[in-house]
Amino acid sequence: MNHHRTLISYLLFTALFSFLILVTTGCSKDENNGESSKADNTLYLFNWTYYTPESVIEAFEAEYGVNVVLDYFASNEDMFAKLKGGGSGYDVVFPSQDYAEIMIREKMVIPLDHAKLDNLRYISPLVREKATYDPDMAYAVPYYLGASGIAVMKDSLEEYPRDWSIFSDSRFRNRMSMLDDMREVMGAALAHLGYSVNSLNPDELEAATRLINEQWKPNIVKFDAEGFAKAFSSGEFSVVHGYGEAVFEEIEEERWDEVDFFLPGEGGPMYLDSMMIPVTAKHVDLAHLFINFIHRPEMYAQFLDRFRFPSTVHTEAEQYRTTEPIYSGDALAAYELKMDLGENLSLYDELWQTIRYDD
Amino acid sequence: MKRSSRLGITYAGPMGLWLTIFFLTPLFIIILYSVLKKGLYGGVEWTFSSAAYRQLVNPAFAKVLFRTLTVSVTATAITMALALPCGYAMARSSHQSLFLGLVIVPFWTNSLIRIYAWIAILSSRGFANELLKQLHIIEESLSLIYNQGAVITVLVYMYIPFAILPLFTTIDSFDFQLLEAARDLGASRFTSITRVLLPNIRSGIITSGVFTFIPIFGAYTVPLLVGGKDSYMIGNIIVDQVTKTRNWPLASAISLIITLVSTVGVMWMLMAGAQEKRERAQSLRKAGTR
Repeated sequence: MNHHRTLISYLLFTALFSFLILVTTGCSKDENNGESSKADNTLYLFNWTYYTPESVIEAFEAEYGVNVVLDYFASNEDMFAKLKGGGSGYDVVFPSQDYAEIMIREKMVIPLDHAKLDNLRYISPLVREKATYDPDMAYAVPYYLGASGIAVMKDSLEEYPRDWSIFSDSRFRNRMSMLDDMREVMGAALAHLGYSVNSLNPDELEAATRLINEQWKPNIVKFDAEGFAKAFSSGEFSVVHGYGEAVFEEIEEERWDEVDFFLPGEGGPMYLDSMMIPVTAKHVDLAHLFINFIHRPEMYAQFLDRFRFPSTVHTEAEQYRTTEPIYSGDALAAYELKMDLGENLSLYDELWQTIRYDD
Repeated sequence: MKRSSRLGITYAGPMGLWLTIFFLTPLFIIILYSVLKKGLYGGVEWTFSSAAYRQLVNPAFAKVLFRTLTVSVTATAITMALALPCGYAMARSSHQSLFLGLVIVPFWTNSLIRIYAWIAILSSRGFANELLKQLHIIEESLSLIYNQGAVITVLVYMYIPFAILPLFTTIDSFDFQLLEAARDLGASRFTSITRVLLPNIRSGIITSGVFTFIPIFGAYTVPLLVGGKDSYMIGNIIVDQVTKTRNWPLASAISLIITLVSTVGVMWMLMAGAQEKRERAQSLRKAGTR
């Protein structure tokens, strides 16, 4: 009887001990950055998960004889919190427009040296116009402009609306999901009603909330930003609101014909991810080399091929690509960048609570 | 005398240091953050503000709190109902080490992977539905996932080891001859269990109940991954307020509720344990005088 107590306390102790080891080794990792001479040859990237083309990284390492170390984040907020909390050692980060704007304002990034970035001439003027917070690319070089859309399993129904009103279609009841993302869902509803995705008008926001609560929410199974692609691939959901690259990543290429992925014609919220150099970067020259490298047309084409993206920010890469994009870049014409709401974020949050907290 | 008091500090020191660094300091930071003004981009500004507590008084939030309580109480009750017979069977078995190992084995796999395994089991084309169809029990798939039932099922699965282990240790130290004595004195099998076994393992029951209820009350990943549109729990609100809406004071105020509930639970557990000790000492004294 006694030896079982010992066994249990032994197990608890082991668990605790391994936890402590994890914590301490986790801490020491950051301190090592840049200490050895080898680290001077290493570029540290901090990018979104499933967003970095491996072949381009390998080509960059081979051409310049350097190492590239990748670290990933799942949301702008995570990335921002890590940098703000003193996370240093990253040489290039990839925030979206709202956080790019915040980071420029908070002086968390350094101005770029355009003399080292001759490939910036390929950046589409249209995109630069949209990037109102930094149209001259003084701090931020566009990486990719895209939007979430709707994926439909074609065998589920013959005809369906190819716009946001698909979520009002009760024939799909309990077989649909929308992103668990306040700005994406509120933005979709606002755009569907003909308003700006950055609207601060209480009446418009109220109308959008009513549309979601009364017409969309009864039909959807859940708000899901984590598992929607897996559930769509396994047939659990027939209609999902989400990112095309996540959907197609989960589905075998032979089955891609079964999927109809589209961006609703009314427009909606879109994002523009950019490359920026944090003030704490230790390899500024290498960071410039990398930003310039990825915008070489043939390299950028590899990025597009890897994720089947349309060429939205690059003017020359299209001719080098070998794959068809999962959606057309032209569809983005009706789309609007989600801008930072600052203090007004609470306007959205209060309404979102009625959507998300209630039964 | 002097020497022993110095030894007392030596013995209590590590534990005290541990509690200060890993419990009191974080708790103090959470309390402090909950009464400060929220920073525009996360964090806090060093100005007093009771905004977080005013935001707490809100019917939408009360709904989530009520839902969290309902789910936690239900899941804990089911867990206990399953864990009691398990603990009893293990204590009476001659293969105790084997069963102990089996209870602990699931911890070797990451909890997220175990939740995804449940998604594979419960989804409409998952193992459970396919099996029922093969057996011709159902024709159409049942909706087993993305609802409260799925949340409770997976929570019970995740936390049942926490209930079995303390129950097992208390039942194991129970003197089973007392049951025989009760039967000899005319108690039925059922009465002997409710009037002799259960009162004697009360502290184990309370410990395992508290150990199960507290983590379930703060659950986050299970409602997120297997819950539906109506499965939001307090843990989910905290994460959203820290990351998405950048309202750290509100997140702190909400997590204080979890701390409060946990503290009440642990106090109850400690008091029940102390009471049992007193009662046992009393009955021993009584037995001695006879």
